Amino acid sequence: MTHSPSRPNGRTVQLMATCLCDAFFDDVAKATVEVLEHAGCEVEFPENQTCCGQPAFNCGDWPASREVMRHTTRVFEGDKPVIVPSGSCAAMLFHGAPLEFEKEKDLPTVQKLANRTWELADFLVNGLGIEKWPGRFPARIAFHRACHTRGTGSGEAALKLLQSIDGLEVIPFGEAEQCCGFGGTFSVSFPHVSSSMGCLKLEHMTASNPDFIVSGDMSCLMHLGGLADRGGQPVKTLHFVQILQSALHRHG
Amino acid sequence: MAEQKVELFARRLDRGVQQAVHSNSAAGTEKRYTVLGTDYSAPDDLRRLAGQIRQHAIEHLDTYLEQAEQSLKRQGAHVHYAVTAEDACRAVSDILQKAGAKKVVKSKSMISEEIHLNDHLGSVGIESVETDLGEYIIQIDGDHPSHIVKPIIHKNRRDIAKSFEREGLGDYNDDPETITRRARVFMRDKYLQADAGITGANFVSAETGRLVLVTNEGNSRFCLAAPKIHIALVGIEKVIPSDAELAVLLNLLGRSATGQQLTVYTEFINGPARTDRPSGPQEMHVIFVDNERSQILASDCREILRCIRCGACLNVCPVYRQASGHAYRSVYPGPVGAVLSPLLAGKNFKQLADLPKASSLCGACNEVCPVDIPIPDLLLKLRNRGHEEHAPSPGTPPMGAFAKLASSPMLWRFAMKSNKVMNLVPLEKLPLPYLQPWLKTRTLPEWRGGEFRSWMKDRRKK
Amino acid sequence: MSTAREQIFSSVRAALAPLPERTARPVFSKDVAEPHWLAAEADSLALFQKRAEATGTKCFTDMESCAAWLRSQGVRTVYIPAPLTRLAALCSEFSEVTSEYTRARVNEIDAAFTPAAGAIAESGSIILSDESTPDRLAALAPWHHIALVSRAEIHRTIADALAAMPDDPNLIWVTGPSKTADVEGILIQGVHGPGAQACLIL
Repeated sequence: MTHSPSRPNGRTVQLMATCLCDAFFDDVAKATVEVLEHAGCEVEFPENQTCCGQPAFNCGDWPASREVMRHTTRVFEGDKPVIVPSGSCAAMLFHGAPLEFEKEKDLPTVQKLANRTWELADFLVNGLGIEKWPGRFPARIAFHRACHTRGTGSGEAALKLLQSIDGLEVIPFGEAEQCCGFGGTFSVSFPHVSSSMGCLKLEHMTASNPDFIVSGDMSCLMHLGGLADRGGQPVKTLHFVQILQSALHRHG
Repeated sequence: MAEQKVELFARRLDRGVQQAVHSNSAAGTEKRYTVLGTDYSAPDDLRRLAGQIRQHAIEHLDTYLEQAEQSLKRQGAHVHYAVTAEDACRAVSDILQKAGAKKVVKSKSMISEEIHLNDHLGSVGIESVETDLGEYIIQIDGDHPSHIVKPIIHKNRRDIAKSFEREGLGDYNDDPETITRRARVFMRDKYLQADAGITGANFVSAETGRLVLVTNEGNSRFCLAAPKIHIALVGIEKVIPSDAELAVLLNLLGRSATGQQLTVYTEFINGPARTDRPSGPQEMHVIFVDNERSQILASDCREILRCIRCGACLNVCPVYRQASGHAYRSVYPGPVGAVLSPLLAGKNFKQLADLPKASSLCGACNEVCPVDIPIPDLLLKLRNRGHEEHAPSPGTPPMGAFAKLASSPMLWRFAMKSNKVMNLVPLEKLPLPYLQPWLKTRTLPEWRGGEFRSWMKDRRKK
Repeated sequence: MSTAREQIFSSVRAALAPLPERTARPVFSKDVAEPHWLAAEADSLALFQKRAEATGTKCFTDMESCAAWLRSQGVRTVYIPAPLTRLAALCSEFSEVTSEYTRARVNEIDAAFTPAAGAIAESGSIILSDESTPDRLAALAPWHHIALVSRAEIHRTIADALAAMPDDPNLIWVTGPSKTADVEGILIQGVHGPGAQACLIL
């Protein structure tokens, strides 16, 4: 999966909060706004946004997904960078959408949005050129490089910022390249396989007793957190942007 | 609710088998990663180059296949074509019957599995012995390979020892070295008695007509050392422009498949024995098999024809590691199989249209593929095709209502807020068929729909 | 009725005709797939020995030590083809040294010497051709196989070896002893071919 080489990196940005943050994880969306503002951005939130259309895309119902994507392209009109605090929703915009529109007349509209889309960490590091994050966050974390950012600069960007934070230690774990088992509707149509994958991931990630399990994708964290919770051994999960936000608060 | 077939298989899979498949696959992934990392500073660049080489080859198959045919004939080989699996089987038995051959030895070849060659040869009274150790065990057990490169990844030494005992290869002994020695002794006679050797091909060079075969055990070499007839079954997509491309492809194949720089035996076959070089088979037949490949070439999934059958995508796949190979109900398991098998099924696509769904789309398969096949994209395209053709897909929620909701901002905002009621009811009791499978092993976080939106509004006012 | 060949070619052409453009043949330099450590290896002979040993091929530079190794392995019957009779003179201590290799004796010969057509330093591979090794079985069936490699015929890289492939019905690159990991992933040497692979560099 590769990304358009020249994406806009202006400081007035549009936030796509994602449906998971809209429904469950308002604290992650808030952290995203605060972190972007700290980085000098003015954050616009187009009110009519809904979802990136990924659920229907992954189910194979591309007409339904395209309907949602057409709505999304109208909501996010213009030339400003579109920032998404989720690897998989960002990948839906810059990779999935052009794929499902390959044979459609409005491919150029979708491609235009794709070329403006940034995953959050990728934008902070490769768009704005931030190399170090201020503040302090004394904790040991296990960082899951969300699968949808394979082949993009996101995983490394998030790690770079996290590792620059005072007091924070990123601990390695086994089978790091493995998926958390979520996979959208895969998690409900293949519940046994999905849960087994997730439990294995948890086993690896918790092997050295980290304080937090961290990722750039709330879907992975919702899955891992939900599994651990149901299994009676809850884990603390954090989106990396929540760490960036907390570090700022401890910066004073 | 009906269950996905791969899910059902995985759920019922013996824990020991699952763990063996997992640890063996994970070890394969680790070895591949180590050797590529040790040898190359930019292995991904090499994978992309190999992908272009293969994509170029399949997009010029009309030219290269014809050139390969001419080169092979120039070297003295007979060239045959088979449109279907049945045609390919018949082509093999015709050659054998014409020569009065009764016994053949076979080197491991996925295409011979694909066309069910052994069953066919058995039905016309020809003895066909698989000579690769794993494939031989599969054959005597009446089983099917569960991995492209490691066919008996699902069996342990005790299973094998019992099979050997049953087949009269000595008393029960589950020492892997003893098992291997017994196979060595048994195969010797088979090689020497065989009238013909049947192999596949990893590559065919159009320019020179060289047929390339890689193995570790040396069984393909034996199939070409003792018998007098050599028959090679070759998928039409195996053709590459020239020998020079092998420098890239061979270097990636061994490393990706088994973590080796090169497999032990890399063989270049360039026609039958000659008067001054009489050691090899006197007759060489190459059968180019289509079996739906030209239809795949016409489809928007043609990239799958780049595949060089290394098995790296199986090893790395988290679903394969949970489900093992037989879950895929076809010759090619794992991510490559989830794409290739429904396509090879041709008119019966719908019967295997569930396979592309058996993936979390994590993309690890694409990341390790030596020819950079965009497997997740192909899985998605096939899911779309399955949807268009109304293939059954148990457990997949219908998306029409979601699309309406997600295209209507007012409705969406209302749903976000009103769903808060979910926090007040016991979710486990709700008759929602797509929620319950989630809740069985996972909890859901508190519903906080609309919270961020009002926070954002307040912030703007300040 | 059209032949299978015509049917396949017409389907392939029909499949490719609608493509707006076709992927060009990539241009790449011959050394593109060389491991990065290769540049630091100046001496091809030393590199060959290192890579051969790493992949399980024993290397000898004189017949005496090679013969001593074979004796220590319990080898009794040795096949040395006619062109190599000068080596046979150094093998007097074995119970039998023969220059005849027949199918009847496939399981009786413990060790076979055959001349190689060359070698590859990068991978530590031995190259056998039908010209160099006139009997394929002789280099394959005995437990011990010793290939005679001439220093002058060691190719530096895999790409070099590919570019210099001679006209021969069969070339085989042998990189270590025959092996399998089919049973529980455990490595076992000597499946169908030699369990001990060696080369004598001359």
